Amino acid sequence: MGARRPYMRTMSKTSWFMTHARFKTYMLHEISSVFVALYMWLLIDGLFRLAKGPEAWEAWLSFIKHPLVVVISLIAFAFFVIHTMSWFKAVPQAMRIQQGEHFVDGKLIIGGHYAALGAFSLFVLILAGVA
Amino acid sequence: MARSAKAVPWFLFAAGGTITAFVLPVMLFVTNLAPPVGLFSEAMSWETMYGFVGNWLVKLVLLGIIGFGLWHAAHRLRVCAHDFGIRADTVVAYIVYGVAGLATLATIWALLMI
Repeated sequence: MGARRPYMRTMSKTSWFMTHARFKTYMLHEISSVFVALYMWLLIDGLFRLAKGPEAWEAWLSFIKHPLVVVISLIAFAFFVIHTMSWFKAVPQAMRIQQGEHFVDGKLIIGGHYAALGAFSLFVLILAGVA
Repeated sequence: MARSAKAVPWFLFAAGGTITAFVLPVMLFVTNLAPPVGLFSEAMSWETMYGFVGNWLVKLVLLGIIGFGLWHAAHRLRVCAHDFGIRADTVVAYIVYGVAGLATLATIWALLMI
């Protein structure tokens, strides 16, 4: 009798998610965390430079304006938008609001989130514009 | 009811996910995308920023954004490590939560100096 040769499903450890569209979108919003972490690090660095003085702050600003940083920032912006959209999409599943006999329609909850996002973003942009 | 030790990281993850979803797109636009094209140069000047961040309420909000953002990213990076085949979850957890904790302390330190 020959040795036992069980069927082993071949699955790449590093690219398994490329096999299915749903896995790809999952990976896309998981990867957004890399850019969130990078941005938090950049912000903390910016706070230290802000505390240090005008020259240190100017150095931080010129780093922001470096072409390579601009490109990474644009990619990060796309990932932040992906994170926001996927997070809002999941809200009705995580937060079910009951009203009498029925649950509030998920689309209404998501719509409310987008309205709040728009209002908040506009507020920040106006604040930055009048400063 | 079963008690789970996952409640704390999960709460931080969920709070961080919600805060980052609302705040980060417009915040990144103001800090990173506007300056290269010369937009909001007055708001991004040292004088304006120093005065703005000097407000204790702004400090508290910034600590909330950065702190929760860090914990959110840490939790997702832990899951990412698992998804890319790294099975030493305990080690990964100590590293990502440890770095997030230290970075949160660094944020408090930086804010106290302003």
